[in-house]
Amino acid sequence: MNTTVLDARSLTKSYGTTRALAGVDLTIHRGESVAIMGASGSGKTTLLHVLAGIISPDSGTVSFQPSVGQAVELAGLGESARSRLRRERFGFVFQQGLLIPEITAVENVALASMINGVKRAQATAHAASWLAALGLAGMEDRRIGELSGGQAQRVAIARAQATGAELVFADEPTGALDSHTSQDVMNALLWSTTGQGRTLLVVTHDADVAARCSRIVSVRDGQIISSAVTA
Amino acid sequence: MNARVLAVLLRAGTGEKAVLALPLIAFGIVTALVLTVVGGAQSFWTWTDEYAPVYQALAAIALVLLIVPLMNLGGAAARLSARRRDERLSTLRLLGVTPLGVGVATVIESMIVAAAGAVAGVVVHLALTPLIGLIPFRGTALGVEAIMLSPFSVLAVVGGVLLVAAASAVLGLRRVIISPLGVRLRTTVSTAHWFRAIIAVSVLALVFVLVTVFPSVAGLAATIAVLALLFAVSLAVLNVIGPWVLKVAAGRQLRKAEHADRLLAARLVLDSPKAAWRQVSGIAMASFMAVFAGTGVSLMNVMNSGDTTSADAALAADMRTGLVITLVASFLMVAASVGVNQAAAVLDQQELHRSLHRLGVPLAIVDSARRRAIMSPLLVTAIGSATCAGVLVFPLLGIALVTAPESLLTIALVLAVGIGIVWMSTRATRPLLARSFEMV
Repeated sequence: MNTTVLDARSLTKSYGTTRALAGVDLTIHRGESVAIMGASGSGKTTLLHVLAGIISPDSGTVSFQPSVGQAVELAGLGESARSRLRRERFGFVFQQGLLIPEITAVENVALASMINGVKRAQATAHAASWLAALGLAGMEDRRIGELSGGQAQRVAIARAQATGAELVFADEPTGALDSHTSQDVMNALLWSTTGQGRTLLVVTHDADVAARCSRIVSVRDGQIISSAVTA
Repeated sequence: MNARVLAVLLRAGTGEKAVLALPLIAFGIVTALVLTVVGGAQSFWTWTDEYAPVYQALAAIALVLLIVPLMNLGGAAARLSARRRDERLSTLRLLGVTPLGVGVATVIESMIVAAAGAVAGVVVHLALTPLIGLIPFRGTALGVEAIMLSPFSVLAVVGGVLLVAAASAVLGLRRVIISPLGVRLRTTVSTAHWFRAIIAVSVLALVFVLVTVFPSVAGLAATIAVLALLFAVSLAVLNVIGPWVLKVAAGRQLRKAEHADRLLAARLVLDSPKAAWRQVSGIAMASFMAVFAGTGVSLMNVMNSGDTTSADAALAADMRTGLVITLVASFLMVAASVGVNQAAAVLDQQELHRSLHRLGVPLAIVDSARRRAIMSPLLVTAIGSATCAGVLVFPLLGIALVTAPESLLTIALVLAVGIGIVWMSTRATRPLLARSFEMV
């Protein structure tokens, strides 16, 4: 539980004159679920983007320690190397799901594996098994527009898992859902990540969602003001 | 819907200027091309000698061959103009705005954009007129005066463009009115029924019979006029059958797709075969023209090698000039159509592309998918249309001329240029796509 999977030191990031991150230190341990909370504009989404290698910090380091192999320093990687790392090692769940509307649910999940070089038949079978595990059996061939918001989010969760991601980043994964569906989606997200020994990092403003995680990190004005293990 | 709601609807949102510019440019090109072609054709109607009816009939062929795809491009521009409001309009429908209200807003906006584009097109046409006037027919330049349209004609063309814009906007937004939730969630799958194929093949067979029979029972000018009409009907039929053919072809590609880009490309076509067809339908006309141009070159060689009068030789040379002009116009339309549609599609999907970038999906895969979604239907369309035109030209000129080396070489060259232009159009929109991938 105490093995470090992600270690960030002295992160800063500014957009023009706005300071989004002002010296953030954060360590994420393997198998834990961490909720990053904060008001709008507090810097929580920027922090997630820097930790996931979507953007580079102005200064500071982000070290990713995979379960197998050497640690990788994200801030020192070029764009294509960071893209590859995100594609192969990380999973993402966004607020709107942001799935490709023209393709089916199972194809959305299988696509990431296909891009990583897995054969279509194998990727599709694996994707279908994840969809079934998340309660979407029989919906494989539906287009995203034919699914409810909660179902679409579960497809996004399956997509985040299908490549075997060790670390899943979720940005307001329940932001567009009602409270009942929110609970279902959080159940699915936690089961598919920490339930399988993986690590989850969630950005949320929802206290109920945060309470489901093993640790809550609060951010204000680009700085971490508290980090507390939940009961 | 009250005036305040209408004003909110018509106001350009942040970052929408580029989207607004695309249909405007397309309408500009349509207007400039129609004015230029009509202006050139009108000069033939001032002639009164024995060859005049032949020139007039050939000009009529060129006009009808261009009018169908021009209306297509105009329609595409109108739909683009309307589509950028899809989300807002369907939200309004959900909020209870009446179908009439949605329709009025759409038509007004499309017509404003079309009017601005048409004015720009008139300016471009006027600027080009001195150059067009230099084109020689019967050994002398046409002259600016001969091709300058009267203000009434210009107004008629602009009015026609506005009508196309209005009609296309109404048709394009029909699905929003029928199913607001469908568009909001993008559940509506565009279909292309096999029944289209049966109708299209039947009509083409009828055209084939008429093309075979008609030249033996009527005079030259009347025959050319009727043939012009029959070829226009054939092009319209291709528009009916095209989406279905693309759907079948994409279905096969989907089953065989092993790579992500191929799967995405096939799905993009299957998502809306009609939209895929609209993007490449210009090449159907270009292929038609390529077959005319190819067999025309062979025909001219035959005419020049025999005992021909100087007027016949001039007619042959002028036919070649006319074909080149029509081909240039058609290529311009294809390039405009693909460029406008591709740029609009990229702008439409900016948010999705950003999310794909965050997931680590390489730009090259998305770019390859969207280009495959154009180039594959394009090849199917080019080859299919050329074959169709070959079948229709065959009863007129015989198989020897259709398959002559000069014919085939000219057809291949024209198709290669057309396909190359479309490929460049898709490449030209890559920086726009790359920009989506750079945004976080």
